[in-house]
Amino acid sequence: MKQSLRQMITCHWTAKRIQRYLDADPSAPLTAEEVARLEAHLAECERCTRVTEEHRVLHRALSLWPGAAVPDQRSVERVRSFLDELTDGSRS
Amino acid sequence: MDDARARAFREHVEPEIEVMLRVALSLTRERADAEDLVQESLIRALRALDSFDGRHPRAWLLTIVRRTHLNMNRRRRPDPVGDWDVLGDQRPAFGAGTAPSAEQAHLDATLSSRLTDALEDLDPKFRSVVVLVDVHDLSYAEAAAVLDVPVGTVMSRLSRARNRLRAALGPEFLTPGRPA
Repeated sequence: MKQSLRQMITCHWTAKRIQRYLDADPSAPLTAEEVARLEAHLAECERCTRVTEEHRVLHRALSLWPGAAVPDQRSVERVRSFLDELTDGSRS
Repeated sequence: MDDARARAFREHVEPEIEVMLRVALSLTRERADAEDLVQESLIRALRALDSFDGRHPRAWLLTIVRRTHLNMNRRRRPDPVGDWDVLGDQRPAFGAGTAPSAEQAHLDATLSSRLTDALEDLDPKFRSVVVLVDVHDLSYAEAAAVLDVPVGTVMSRLSRARNRLRAALGPEFLTPGRPA
């Protein structure tokens, strides 16, 4: 009982940090201690490991999502030409 | 124009042209409008260069894109559309982008379709943050600059958005073959 309560608390603690762990965003880094505790928990908790995997798959699916508005290369080139005009003569 | 100033401006801007166009496209939905928006933003950015501290050029430029978009909307439309209402309320134009890469071609069609439905069901304020961070790969701070909200708000909306998407898709789509 004591063990499962501790496990539940750690699952809750992990759930609150798992996205920051996966994102590794410079605005909200986990400490080395937090990373170590989280990884140790993932090594023994099937449920949290599954949630982590779901987040990974979701992120990958979103990064490949075909509905994203992606600029074509011609647009990029036209804006680059505009930048050239704006900073005329400064190209090295 | 002073050469050093122009060179500094180019160094800040050139690597960010594509991400500026991505965000502009999300805001305008039209390629020509997105280019106009980015060009107008570059003019404003150049004027504001002296007050830029040189840190986080992407966030600086995206903030200018957002403000320019709001100003252009005010000028053009008697009834302005809120910036992320545009992204939030329209179904994305499939096939409007460049040809899909080989990797994109292999994104499971059923998952892709379910994902679109799940994104549509999200509240626009949750959808916009997940599109910026997960689809367009912006950092929390860059998404905060585009949306004009604190980083903490980006994080909480992102967390809720992703958890709703996970719940909507279910483990059978996200981790098939793995016992639930």
